[in-house]
Amino acid sequence: MTSGDGAPSDADLLRAHLDGDAQAFGEIVRRHRDRLWAVALRTVGDREEAADAVQDALLNAHRNAAKFRGDAAVTTWLHRIVVNACLDRIRRRQAHPTVPLPDGTRADDDRPAAPEPAAPTEDHDTALVVRQALADLPVEQRAAIVLVDVQGYPVSEAAEILGVAEGTIKSRCARGRARMAVALGHLRTGGDGSHGNHNAAQTVPSGPAAGERRDQR
Amino acid sequence: MTGAEFREVDIDLLADYIGGALSGTPDESSVAALIADDPAWRAAYESLSGGMATVGAQLGALEPMVMPDDVVARLEAALASPIAAPDPIPAELAAPPVPHLALVRGDHAHDVPQERTTARERGSKPGSARRLRWATPIAIAAGVIAFVGFGLDYLAGRESNSSDMASSSAAGEAQARQNSAAMPGGPQLLASGTDYTASTLATGPLEPFAASAKSSSRATDPSVQSESAPMAAPDQAGSISGDDPLARLRNPAVLQECIDAIAAENSDGPIYPQSVDFARFDGSPALIVRFSATQGSWAWAVGPSCGTGGKANTLDTAPVR
Repeated sequence: MTSGDGAPSDADLLRAHLDGDAQAFGEIVRRHRDRLWAVALRTVGDREEAADAVQDALLNAHRNAAKFRGDAAVTTWLHRIVVNACLDRIRRRQAHPTVPLPDGTRADDDRPAAPEPAAPTEDHDTALVVRQALADLPVEQRAAIVLVDVQGYPVSEAAEILGVAEGTIKSRCARGRARMAVALGHLRTGGDGSHGNHNAAQTVPSGPAAGERRDQR
Repeated sequence: MTGAEFREVDIDLLADYIGGALSGTPDESSVAALIADDPAWRAAYESLSGGMATVGAQLGALEPMVMPDDVVARLEAALASPIAAPDPIPAELAAPPVPHLALVRGDHAHDVPQERTTARERGSKPGSARRLRWATPIAIAAGVIAFVGFGLDYLAGRESNSSDMASSSAAGEAQARQNSAAMPGGPQLLASGTDYTASTLATGPLEPFAASAKSSSRATDPSVQSESAPMAAPDQAGSISGDDPLARLRNPAVLQECIDAIAAENSDGPIYPQSVDFARFDGSPALIVRFSATQGSWAWAVGPSCGTGGKANTLDTAPVR
């Protein structure tokens, strides 16, 4: 089977990799690395952590390609491994918090240590505050939003990647967007046009207990 | 309106409703009724739905990202490394089956019948298929460490006492001699004699995959408290003499138990040992095991009793960057 343009499909390349083709896995990585990188960086938020997570994940995928059963797309499988590597790193960071540096560059919770690098766009400021609001979300909501709202994956594929029900993905995305809407001051009544302040997120009853209330759907 | 004005409203429930997460559930009609009947809910719905749509648009407008060149280079180098060699195809997919080179705790999908049969034929305990996966690389590794040991004893002018180790796998030794210390797919065994500390645990030896037995037995990072020439200082290496506390760990089965214990205490699924260094930690004999797992690469310093009673005898651990 080949992809539409005549190039071998990801599944073909994976089989070639298992058959000993030394270049095949590299081609798969080349096809998907930018999206995997975007998911990792926006989920972890720290460039070095993201690089480590992607490398570890792809090394594991490379070594354990024989375990791929073909019940999902290769790209979904790769995303799942990368996202899990990211989430593991975040949870490890939470379990073993590091001592903050004097300049406070290392966060002790699941928040990214630093915002992802900014791109030189005219909407730079807006993008910056949106990224920061995204980084402030609980990690489960952030991971779902990165996949669905930022990267544009269907809810079904995001559910497969994160290993949860589609309803859970919808819930995490919706609650994350709501939090961000409050944090970004996007809530307003019919005609007043007023914007909330950025501290309003603290008033939203979507703390850990509330946030998980329906996440187990 | 700010979030403060939503105090009478369950924002999460409302967000679920707006996001379609309640579709087909009893909550969907309940929330719809609240929006229809309760002004606070209605106002919150109108405000939040607009805000969430705006956020969705902003998230979708974030610029695409490209993996930086340095990360690409690092990734390509890692994938080109021998440690990235793929595991053999499972027995269900290809024949003849061969032992896996990665320790997979609880991976029943790969406890293939052929492996179980082989294990019983070798007199292993039932259910030890996981251990068998390491049999081949560990046996080869035993050959390597025996070879390294022989070299150390020879340089020290002593009679080699490594025949028992070498006999554990004559084929492995032959393979080891061919491959020197490079063992694609299995952990590299070293006897660097390095005296690691908490601050140097994560560093060196840094040439574990293609180096010769001699060069790979040295810690190459100057920050590591290593003998400058461990091949010429076997006493300091502390890994060859007859009263070596680490001697038991040269038995492949015992080493396997040690790695099992590390994997269990690491609590992160399968681990992929890259090197095992018969060395020291804070002056005491220690095994330095470098491995990768889901969450990253680690260096563990474990004591001579590693594996005993299922305990790793962990002295220290450090993430490898």
